[in-house]
Amino acid sequence: MKAGEIVDRIKQQLGVPWRDATYRDTFKSGGPETEVTGIATTCFVTLDVIKRASAAGLNLIIPHEDTFWNDRDDSAIVERDPLYQEKRALLTAKNIAVFRIHDHMHAQRPDFTYVGSARAVGLDPKHEDPPGSHRFVIPETTLAALAADVKKRTGARALRVVGDPKAKVSRIRLGVGYASPPIDAPDVDVLISGEQQESDGTFDSQPYALDAATLGIVKGLILLGHTVSEEAGMLEMAQWIKSFVPEVSVQLIKAEEPMWGPAPR
Amino acid sequence: MTQLSRREFAALAAGAAVSPLAIGLSPAQAASITAQELIDRIRAQIGVAWKPETVDGVKAGEPTTVVTGIVTTALASLSVLQQAVKAGANVVIASQPVFYAKADARTPPARRGPGGPAGPGGSPPAGASQAPAAAAAPAEPPPADAVFTAKNAFIDQHKLVVIRLSDHWRLREPDPLAQGLGAAMGWTSLQVAGNPRRYDVPALTVAALVAALEKKLGANGGLRVVGDPKTNVRRIGILPGSTAIQASLELLPSVDAIVGGEVREWESVEYARDVVAAGGKKALILVGRIVSEEPGMRVCADWLKTIAPGLPVRHIAAGDPYWRPA
Repeated sequence: MKAGEIVDRIKQQLGVPWRDATYRDTFKSGGPETEVTGIATTCFVTLDVIKRASAAGLNLIIPHEDTFWNDRDDSAIVERDPLYQEKRALLTAKNIAVFRIHDHMHAQRPDFTYVGSARAVGLDPKHEDPPGSHRFVIPETTLAALAADVKKRTGARALRVVGDPKAKVSRIRLGVGYASPPIDAPDVDVLISGEQQESDGTFDSQPYALDAATLGIVKGLILLGHTVSEEAGMLEMAQWIKSFVPEVSVQLIKAEEPMWGPAPR
Repeated sequence: MTQLSRREFAALAAGAAVSPLAIGLSPAQAASITAQELIDRIRAQIGVAWKPETVDGVKAGEPTTVVTGIVTTALASLSVLQQAVKAGANVVIASQPVFYAKADARTPPARRGPGGPAGPGGSPPAGASQAPAAAAAPAEPPPADAVFTAKNAFIDQHKLVVIRLSDHWRLREPDPLAQGLGAAMGWTSLQVAGNPRRYDVPALTVAALVAALEKKLGANGGLRVVGDPKTNVRRIGILPGSTAIQASLELLPSVDAIVGGEVREWESVEYARDVVAAGGKKALILVGRIVSEEPGMRVCADWLKTIAPGLPVRHIAAGDPYWRPA
């Protein structure tokens, strides 16, 4: 079957109207006419993901994020780099189509990025109050114990934490990717999210959590990293696509965490 | 960073030919300039045309305040403000916002109340994972925020003046942030072609470079690496602060490792991952935006001594905000 048919089914099944204005959720390689042998979902179309997907016989890659190292996949920014040409050539040689699903994945209910992230960090849906709010009330623990548990469950080697390790916490707010909600909400002890700029944003959670710790005010920030935060939900995405594309194999091919961090001193 | 006593601070100030204290004057009497006059001198001497639109300027306090001492830092955290007061300084100059946002207002940004729907969150550039904007809830008066309240109260109580100096400081030539980071690593004599962003160092592994960065920059849980710890590197490029993909595309092909502050993960981190996967014996090492700008603010302290002679000026590091569980 053709990539275009699969994309059409995604649009039909989504449950929310498709917004043609999106620059993100488009073909980045190949196109509707590409004959599909199998589907790989992932967070990032890395060189390694391309090779592993191809080896598994999957030639439609559906990533959540960009392919060419900028959000718009604007070739003008990257085309002077030989690696861009190499990546393009590899995609062409392996006859791989790439169709990104980002904006519509976040618009869909449930938003699988949250479902996957909650599962990955060990937040139980029965603790989400109200359901779908991304707010969880868990049995009281310390920020240190929570962060250690999250690190163990996710295997995230480059996870970062701000706040007093001894702070007693129970009210967790989950964010995903770069869309971190501000940490200053009075009903949030800990924000768990993917990536957040340290300053000059509309709200800078790191400096705020740092000052809160100085004051003895409970605020913790656990940053998983972008891929660790959002890749888990690409499993749900794969399962969902499989439910209405039974003709071909659909698998999660993980990009995996790109970074490591030295052991704490 | 250990806290300084007033005496230690005065001793540091004695770097000038005649210490104000040695001749029986308080530092304020010796120099007697106001915060506004200090800013005027900065604007006149920084060597960069002052921008009409800028984040730089007084963020809290009265510009008419007579300066008793100056502390520079990457982040005017409450802890740094406390250390500044202990040291007898009443002007703090920082490269980051004071009040947790680019807007840097002394009150919390107005937005949805507690329990309201999540909006796209703190990400002014179009983030790769920015959800489509949810319908904004009606703006409610923000609830009292204990962190804002306490920081404001501390600033008022100690009559501090907190100034941001970022836009113009980073435009100075040669780049004081890069120069400072290179100097902090002990690489000044290894600079390549007068470019403070390039150093050719004796070959070392990425793991050894990481250990040196931890030790010399005080990087802790915020340090993250793309690349093999065993890779040997010699040509180092540095990108302090927050940088976009263009900076990495320009620099990484000609170096073995970039030591950077903060990038967007969907840009430079993924680019570096692909570079390494394609066989590039390279690394991208991120120390965090704040940690990466700290040495440049030490350079700022040295520069301020030259434009405000007689005034005690020193740098206090905010430290790495992050830690990492074992």
